[in-house]
Amino acid sequence: MAMFSQNPLLNGASYSFSEAPKFNAPEGAREHRFDPYTDNGGSTLAIAGADFTIMAGDTRLTSGYSINSRFHPKVFKIGGTTSDQSDATLVLSVVGFAADGEALKERLDAICKMYRYRHGKPMSVKACAQRLSTILYQKRFFPYYAYAILGGLDEEGKGAVYSYDPVGSYEREQCRAGGAAASLIMPFLDNQVNFKNQFIPGSGEGHALQERERHPLSRQEVETLVKDAFDGAVERHIEVGDGLQMMIITKEGIEEVVLPLKRD
Amino acid sequence: MSSPFSINGGACVAMVGKDCVAIACDLRLGLQALTVSNNFPKIFQYGDNVFLGLTGLATDVATVSDLFRYKVNMYRLREERQIAPRTFSNLVSSSLYERRFGPWFVSPVVAGLDPKTGQPFICGFDSIGCIDFAKDFIVSGTATEQLFGMCESLWEPDLGPDQLFETISQSLLNAVDRDALSGWGAHVYIIEKDKVTKRLLKGRQD
Repeated sequence: MAMFSQNPLLNGASYSFSEAPKFNAPEGAREHRFDPYTDNGGSTLAIAGADFTIMAGDTRLTSGYSINSRFHPKVFKIGGTTSDQSDATLVLSVVGFAADGEALKERLDAICKMYRYRHGKPMSVKACAQRLSTILYQKRFFPYYAYAILGGLDEEGKGAVYSYDPVGSYEREQCRAGGAAASLIMPFLDNQVNFKNQFIPGSGEGHALQERERHPLSRQEVETLVKDAFDGAVERHIEVGDGLQMMIITKEGIEEVVLPLKRD
Repeated sequence: MSSPFSINGGACVAMVGKDCVAIACDLRLGLQALTVSNNFPKIFQYGDNVFLGLTGLATDVATVSDLFRYKVNMYRLREERQIAPRTFSNLVSSSLYERRFGPWFVSPVVAGLDPKTGQPFICGFDSIGCIDFAKDFIVSGTATEQLFGMCESLWEPDLGPDQLFETISQSLLNAVDRDALSGWGAHVYIIEKDKVTKRLLKGRQD
């Protein structure tokens, strides 16, 4: 990961083009480097409910040990027809390299707008998900360094979450954590959303035990889980904090909430 | 991947409860991605209620655990009493610092109850003996990030022995399921005043 690290001890000053060394090089030899990526930290989280989806992300933007901004949103409404995106139906979250995330959001938003203009209806999550995968794979050999999650409601009105790797491999899931604190949050989600490692007491011995049955969580329960997940992540990860931005997608539209997180 | 700390894999966690402590570990022993054994416990007992969890390079786990058995036996013969968790922690710390420039590749965790007051005691160390005293929980091994996330969200103060067992078990099980180098069952110790309960958790076998 040293490639993406902004630790000045590891990489020197963080400029895209590093200067060629003037000393200690063989006659006429000059080393040139191109370091176009930065890791801007932060974390995202998405959970699908029966008739809603919650997308969340912290609002801190870091570079190495510096905090560059305490409010830099990572969660965006996609495909509205107005500048305030009031009639959008989809939400995209991006973490990794903020500039690539921003560029990716702008491109997907433009594509969704074009689709809406041409077809007279908003893009379905399924279609948008496939399109996003294509966009990412088109840059297979100079990728967007961004972990994207797309959220919305599917054709049946059920919550839908699609998660991506930087080159477009994707999957529909119930829940997904992304970014710096993904490894802290994901096992918590397995346990609390998909009830992993939870069994019905006295239902058998060892592997004969019956798994606790999964059921869709209420909006209140999911909001509590999101807050708890981020409070945990903030406590143990220095790149996560400042603010928690949540978008709740329902058939009525998209609600946005911003709550404070610890700023230390 | 070639770090000595992550060749064999493994995870360990200790937690404080109300008048009790818990310590748990996974059972995997691997060589990088290949699992060699699913019965490699990483928790060792050095007194009625003094426990040591060791993760890291398996050869050092075995050697260091034996070294402390020897040192604690010598302590018991000289002092004619059992070692207390706090004393044992200082022994661990100084023994690790002795190897300051060629360390044992282990991340130890100590859990126990103070023999006089019955106060819960846990602490963790880096590989050269810097002690991390904690009031809540200590994690170590290749699943530390996952364990931090689980413990930070499941743990609360003053858990009773049964609640503490559930909390530490769920924390460990769900953490190791998101770490390819840990898992394959677990050992959980619940330490109360004059009672220690050891349980074997099956867990996912993949």
